[in-house]
Amino acid sequence: MLKGFTTILVKELKELMRDPKILIGMIVLPLVIFPVMGLVLGYAVESAQEQAQRATLLVVNNDGGEWSQTFISYLNGTMNVAVINNMNPQQVVSQNLLPEYNSTQFVEIPDGFSQNMTQHIDGGDFNVTATLNVYGVFQGGGIFSNLGSSGFSVIVNSFNRAIAPDVVYTSQSTIIKGEIQQGIDPATLSGLLISQSLALPITVMIMLTYSMQIAATSVAMEKEEKTLETLLTVPVDRFSILMGKLSSTMIVAGVAAIAVLFGYNYMLGSITMGIPTTGSADLVALGLVPSPLGYTLLGISLFVTLLSALALAVIMSAFSEDVRGAQALVGYLYPLIFIPSLALIYLDINTLPFALKAVLFAVPYSQPIIASQAVVLGDYTTVIFGIIYVAAFTVIIMYIASRLFATEKILTAKLKFRRGSKKTKEQQG
Amino acid sequence: MSLAVEAKNLVKQFGNIRALDGLSFNIKQGEIYGLIGPNGAGKTTTLRTISTLILPTSGSVEIFGLDAVKQAAEVRKIISYLPEEAGAYPNLSGNEYLEFMAKFNTKNQKELHATIQEATKISGLGERLRDRTKTYSKGMKRRLLVARALMTRPKLAVLDEPASGLDVLHAYHVREIIKTYVKEHDVTVLLSSHNMLEVEYLCDRVALVNKGKIVVEGKPAELKKQYKSENLEEVFAKVVGYA
Repeated sequence: MLKGFTTILVKELKELMRDPKILIGMIVLPLVIFPVMGLVLGYAVESAQEQAQRATLLVVNNDGGEWSQTFISYLNGTMNVAVINNMNPQQVVSQNLLPEYNSTQFVEIPDGFSQNMTQHIDGGDFNVTATLNVYGVFQGGGIFSNLGSSGFSVIVNSFNRAIAPDVVYTSQSTIIKGEIQQGIDPATLSGLLISQSLALPITVMIMLTYSMQIAATSVAMEKEEKTLETLLTVPVDRFSILMGKLSSTMIVAGVAAIAVLFGYNYMLGSITMGIPTTGSADLVALGLVPSPLGYTLLGISLFVTLLSALALAVIMSAFSEDVRGAQALVGYLYPLIFIPSLALIYLDINTLPFALKAVLFAVPYSQPIIASQAVVLGDYTTVIFGIIYVAAFTVIIMYIASRLFATEKILTAKLKFRRGSKKTKEQQG
Repeated sequence: MSLAVEAKNLVKQFGNIRALDGLSFNIKQGEIYGLIGPNGAGKTTTLRTISTLILPTSGSVEIFGLDAVKQAAEVRKIISYLPEEAGAYPNLSGNEYLEFMAKFNTKNQKELHATIQEATKISGLGERLRDRTKTYSKGMKRRLLVARALMTRPKLAVLDEPASGLDVLHAYHVREIIKTYVKEHDVTVLLSSHNMLEVEYLCDRVALVNKGKIVVEGKPAELKKQYKSENLEEVFAKVVGYA
């Protein structure tokens, strides 16, 4: 054993374990975050499964022949089926029939299905196959939101095994914003969906936490270096000091927000390039990527959220004496960023119960993620409401920050955790 | 001679701690006035109150007739405060730091340039002012900060432990600057120090502070004579009953 190693180790452990910031930040918080995440994910999987179980498969029978009846009977044996006879697929969408059956997809048995089946099976013409047209709704965010849609191809395969190999094929189309987009496979879109669900929340998390650290450090550094005391005694408006600090971090954060948007746009461009579209389909119009207005609103949402996070970081740092303390204090805000961001990766906010939806919406840091899902679906009202909400929250935070800077609290305030209360401490000489 | 500082019955309460307990003193214009006393006596709290950083719980302070609480913004135009162990911005050069601070007190480029020139002369750091302050030694940093505090020729300079922790040469430089500069430019100085010899050398008058109160005040020579002591350290020990 190294000489003195144990002595140093014990002393280090004592110091670390007795520091409440480290204790709470590194041990207690993970113990809270992961169980909460577990509950959220458990709920996400459960609700997706429930939805899949409740779903009814809508079958539009435009064939009316014997084989169509056989196929419907086969389906009936495995899931809830509702049948509509003789209807144009676009009419099914236009008349909004899917929500009535609590379904996100329907199958059309096209005219000639039975004839092709008979020709294949009885006539022995194996070049003739029957096709089923599957129409799936392109849904918003949440990795688990499409959990129930992959089951149909499994059923068709098992039907083929029971009747004849490779007799029935499926043709996938996607319903986007009430329009059927022929030949766009929802499975191809699921890659885009997952990327959308993952990329922006993770980037927002990184950007928020990083810029909060910068903002907190800029004030804490002034306290640590004792330059703040000097600055507060020169003839300059204290609100100018606060705004100067916030503005500089805002500029950095603004550049970061633009970089995020450019990167996000490039990523979506790369993914959507691989999606086959009929004719000159406009991806923006299809709702696969945000419109210029969508991007602008998303940018504004990112900006106001960053501003509120920075102002809050400045306030938190005012309660610490040095950089280390400020970083630890800002760390307490991270669950407010991580939990909603991670939750929104897995969940579609629109499918959540009102109470949970309200909680997620109330956390300002989930707004850019909600906005990123909403702009894709063209739901600008939600985004604008979110921007107004975060802006109002930011004004309140800025007011508190300016009051803090205007008084001696900026120098004397210090959070003490030992008794769980806020106290002031003054260095006396 | 008019009064530069008039502190009346200052009380400052931090929770259960009474940092200042009815502290009163006056400083005449052009004087170098020293507060001396042990750690926790209330020196820094007094300097911070006068520098408009903290508000007194009760009592009043006037700086050249301006109320330090009600007219804080006006007071900040005529004072300069040097905190104990203050630092500079590590990633700015000495020149950039001086320029940054000078901009708050100057109205045009000409004044700004003149102020920086003044600081360059006071600091005596020469070419090193082009370097980032994180490369400075403790002594160099203190000389830069003293120069910053005096370059605007404030009516009142409040200096907390101006030469503490410095080696002999840097401490000598700082003391000489304070001694000569303030007399040349009619700057009033309020300083605090643990170093009784330093105070004795620099100050026209001193106040011995203990437990938030001034226990005795006067010219160093008179105090030594009154308490039959060789230096102010001994005077202090006798006043608080330690010797």
